[in-house]
Amino acid sequence: MNAPRSIDDYLKQLRAALGGDDPALTQDALYDAEEYLRAEVAAHPDKSESDVLELIASTYGAPEEVAAAYRDTEVKVKAALKSPVARLGAEASPLRRFFGVYLDPRTYSSLFYMLLALATGIVYFTFVVVGLSLSAGFAILIIGIPFFLAFIGIARVIALGEGRLVEAVTGERMPRRPVHPGPPGSWWSRIGEMLKDARTWTTLAYLVVMLPLGIVYFVIAVTGLAVSAAFIGTPLALVAQYFGWLSGDFRAVDIHYGNGSVYAFDHPWLAGALLLVAGIILLTVLLHLARALVRAHARLAKSLLVVPGA
Amino acid sequence: MDDTQARKFQKDLNAGLVSLVLLAVLERSSEDLYGYEIAKRLQKANEGEALFKEGTVYPVLRALAAQGLLTSRVVPSYSGPPRRYYRITEEGRAMLAQWSDIWRQTRGFVDRFIEGQET
Repeated sequence: MNAPRSIDDYLKQLRAALGGDDPALTQDALYDAEEYLRAEVAAHPDKSESDVLELIASTYGAPEEVAAAYRDTEVKVKAALKSPVARLGAEASPLRRFFGVYLDPRTYSSLFYMLLALATGIVYFTFVVVGLSLSAGFAILIIGIPFFLAFIGIARVIALGEGRLVEAVTGERMPRRPVHPGPPGSWWSRIGEMLKDARTWTTLAYLVVMLPLGIVYFVIAVTGLAVSAAFIGTPLALVAQYFGWLSGDFRAVDIHYGNGSVYAFDHPWLAGALLLVAGIILLTVLLHLARALVRAHARLAKSLLVVPGA
Repeated sequence: MDDTQARKFQKDLNAGLVSLVLLAVLERSSEDLYGYEIAKRLQKANEGEALFKEGTVYPVLRALAAQGLLTSRVVPSYSGPPRRYYRITEEGRAMLAQWSDIWRQTRGFVDRFIEGQET
């Protein structure tokens, strides 16, 4: 490969060198390199960009070297930060795998994310709708341009923050740096770049769909938790009733069977035991569902917020 | 000697040393530093051929921050995107002291053989 003669050239070669790696890692590496290169060019106003770039391979490092450094460090950090709870391998019995979900910290963070998603979804959705409509309204005024730039800028910061949250919850590698804004240019050219950048639109799309997704996640989490809590709580209520801690005509549950109704009142202990088992199974299934859903959500977030090669 | 082998040896040596040097630079510094500044300080300290490329500094800084040995904050910059400034944490200082001891021991041990062979 030829030695790069411009910043764009260098970044292109670095991206090629990182080709098969995680897009989030690539975004971070490109950001660092662009920051360094632009600072280096700015620090030597007497030299041309290509003269500065000529020396880069011996100071910052050639694209392949830098790519290798990021790859190595990533592996080490991943090993150091790995969750200490051993993952249950395929050799574990199905029963242990089924109930092992209770030991996985990701389960609880996923459940938390599902509950939080409603709130963040509302905020994101409102932000995009208000931002886009005000941008359209202001477009004929002089403040339309800076307003749109600020809107997209904040959307990128939100995307970075959402990425950090998703990584904290699921462990999916997300960028630690935003997209580099590139060389300072005129407002018109920067708006043009933003409009052409597919990531601008996928980011906005993500922020919009977070509302319906957030509603679905929230409903699943709350309904699942409430129903399993009620099922598991029933035998406790029966015990409380038995010892007289709970008084009144307390009927645990109605079971409608055929034409007539069979009341659990007639067989309270059997009904309580069945509900306890059903509640535990339901709760475990819910936890599995939460983990799987949020993991799938992380992949969606990555495909919309981190575009490979963008 | 083969040049690529020399480079590989240097790279293997650097694996842990870059972290040690970065912690030391940030411990000595009275102010918070950002990536480019740190890279330039290292460059200035170099005599002749650089021991490691400045491009390797950034990922290591991030790794140290992820392990809690450094903290960082983002400061807007007039001349470009916001910069991330790093500062060493108490944990980082403790780690640096420990690593420095290990480094001194290692250096003494290795020198005993290398110097011994020459005389």
